[in-house]
Amino acid sequence: MELQDQAEQFFRSGHTNNWAVLVCTSRFWFNYRHVANTLSVYRSVKRLGIPDSHIVLMLADDMACNPRNPKPATVFSHKNMELNVYGDDVEVDYRSYEVTVENFLRVLTGRIPPSTPRSKRLLSDDRSNILIYMTGHGGNGFLKFQDSEEITNVELADAFEQMWQKRRYNELLFIIDTCQGASMYERFYSPNIMALASSQVGEDSLSHQPDLGIGVHLMDRYTFYVLEFLEEIHPASQTNMNDLFQVCPKSLCVSTPGHRTDLFQRDPQNVLITDFFGSVRKVEITTETIALDRDPAAFESKFPEDELATEPLKYAEQLPVAQIIHQKPKQKDWHPPGGFILGLWALIIMVFFKTYGIKHMKHVF
Amino acid sequence: MAAPLVLVVLAAVTVRAALFRSSLAAFIAERVEVASPLNAWKRVVEGLALLDLGVSPYSGAIFHETPLIIYLFHFLIEYAELVFMVTDVLTAVALYLAIQDFNKVVFKKQKLLIELDKYAPDVAELVQTPMEMHYIPLKVALFYLLNPFSVMSCVAKSTCAINNSVIAFFILATIKGSAFLSAVFLALATYQSLYPLTLFAPALLYLLQRQFIPIKLKSKSFWLYTMQYASLYLCSLVVIICLSFFLLNSWDFIPSVYGFILSVPDLTPNIGLFWYFFAEMFEHFSLFFVCVFQINVFFYTIPLAIKLKEHPVFFMFVQIAIISIFKSYPTVGDVALYMAFLPVWSHLYRFLRNIFILSCVLIFCSFLFPVLWHLWIYAGSANSNFYYAITLTFNIGQILLISDYFYAFLRREYYLTHGLHLTRQDGTEAMLVLK
Repeated sequence: MELQDQAEQFFRSGHTNNWAVLVCTSRFWFNYRHVANTLSVYRSVKRLGIPDSHIVLMLADDMACNPRNPKPATVFSHKNMELNVYGDDVEVDYRSYEVTVENFLRVLTGRIPPSTPRSKRLLSDDRSNILIYMTGHGGNGFLKFQDSEEITNVELADAFEQMWQKRRYNELLFIIDTCQGASMYERFYSPNIMALASSQVGEDSLSHQPDLGIGVHLMDRYTFYVLEFLEEIHPASQTNMNDLFQVCPKSLCVSTPGHRTDLFQRDPQNVLITDFFGSVRKVEITTETIALDRDPAAFESKFPEDELATEPLKYAEQLPVAQIIHQKPKQKDWHPPGGFILGLWALIIMVFFKTYGIKHMKHVF
Repeated sequence: MAAPLVLVVLAAVTVRAALFRSSLAAFIAERVEVASPLNAWKRVVEGLALLDLGVSPYSGAIFHETPLIIYLFHFLIEYAELVFMVTDVLTAVALYLAIQDFNKVVFKKQKLLIELDKYAPDVAELVQTPMEMHYIPLKVALFYLLNPFSVMSCVAKSTCAINNSVIAFFILATIKGSAFLSAVFLALATYQSLYPLTLFAPALLYLLQRQFIPIKLKSKSFWLYTMQYASLYLCSLVVIICLSFFLLNSWDFIPSVYGFILSVPDLTPNIGLFWYFFAEMFEHFSLFFVCVFQINVFFYTIPLAIKLKEHPVFFMFVQIAIISIFKSYPTVGDVALYMAFLPVWSHLYRFLRNIFILSCVLIFCSFLFPVLWHLWIYAGSANSNFYYAITLTFNIGQILLISDYFYAFLRREYYLTHGLHLTRQDGTEAMLVLK
């Protein structure tokens, strides 16, 4: 029975693989903290088990080799230079000017030219849990990329919807650390998305501590406390999402972090941190056969049955191309209204008879 | 006279059909001199496609045709080439019949004036004879049908041909004397492109002349007839506009058609004078200059009406020419219409002073238009100033042509009443000058 309980743990969540897309959107030396944010999350995620092949890391600027860096080849996330998050095994997939809105959306939706290398692709499937972490400068409804363009919350929501329709994720955790970050998740409408943000609309996210040796702020507050929280997580932790929601209260963060779980099917109580931040593979070998019945309570759907696909799609069926290309839209022709035709011809006939007179009618007939 | 006309029509239809089938049709259809934003065929197709998709064609800035054109082409879009050829033929036939009637009127008037001894004794060579007037209608039809401008306009399927046809029917109705039909056709022409409004004056003058009503401001019958004609015209215009409302159940077409014609938002180069001026003007002044330019079209009507009140058909010719030079989006189709009338005034040839140089200017400019366009847009070695220069030269050529004919006409009239050999007070030979 105990073995059955343990085995049921496998089906607690529907995912079989984990991906992470970590994006830093700011360039310039004084945005050091955004790169440090992203690299810290990268470190934690790697530590908890997600391999580099499953991480798409996008850094808009190179801080480690920036000429203004007094300690070249390092990026510190803690003052007094305690923790170098750059290291020598960091794999940046999209670097510098490659971090654009277009590339980000292409990574998410998978609409990538065939020549793109595997390391730059998000090769997720319908059993992938994806963590998306974004940091940079933002505002109400947008996030600035590279100081020259922006992505809006509508575009992001549509990209996630594309991902849902193409069955590119099982569940998605979206974390954003920017000013007015909550506005970025307001527009999501696809199922199975949970979102966290560092500040509400109208609030600014603040940075944590400057380092006087390097001369810039090293981290943002929200990410700093999230990372402190993650430091205690190890691959076998049973900590759930509700604890993550409590991270960085207003007293520490000055801004009010927000979260959104209405699109998420499972109760956040039952969602482990390692479902998203780690790539947990638990393999146990048993010589007994175990009969399992699915616990209906764990999968209570918040949405009506017909909205979601209840059976898992095969790979080939993920996008029903055959259905789409053979379907032609029905041509609805426009016809002028009857009153108009009647009026027009009545006028024409009136003019005709006025000019030629009724008395000519007998010649016509 | 029917047989030569039929031959001419056949020749014209053959030329057009041959061009429709050739590869030149696509090339000509794109040329800005032939297709303007108001009458391009591409835009008609786009508007009808939008309508099939359930969107009002006036919702974008593409479609500027009137609802009656929508109705016409909704059913005839597959036979578009045939429609345009038939339209051209109808225009030519209408002009033929109109000029035939006009010749009779001219001849009758001439005879009356000779009997009344209004002419000077030595002007026998100036008087028009039936012999020379016999072929004029055919020449008019020929000039319209085989004019390269109208052929190109037909091949490009520009709805200018339809406008020309309505104006031709208006002229026919006016010359035949039917005030009602003339008002109806004038209302249709005004409804389609705003400028034929100015043709109200010559039509009124002609009809008054035909009814033998003297044109005096104090005469009651003058005002009565004017009111009658004006009310016929305005009523038919209102009826047509209200009817167009019922096609799409919206008044969208009014800003899209008339607002577009009057405010000239689209500055695509054409053979007119508006585009360059407004492309380089500051926003601040553009309203003022739009008003000035538009008033320019309507401005010549009253002075010409005063000067040419005895000769309304010539007035009509000059007015049509002024419309096609100064309108906001002229095309060569408009030029073809007034050029069709030139054979009617062929007896003025001896008085035209610059006809050689003007015809050279017009022909060369017509050839230079595509050359300089290519140099500007494709080769990149010229710029818009070159094209604008040719536009200016072409329009100057046209204006000088019209004023030359005006001068020649008035000169002939003067000679008719004062004799051919004019002398000054001291006996030396005098020369008439247009002041």
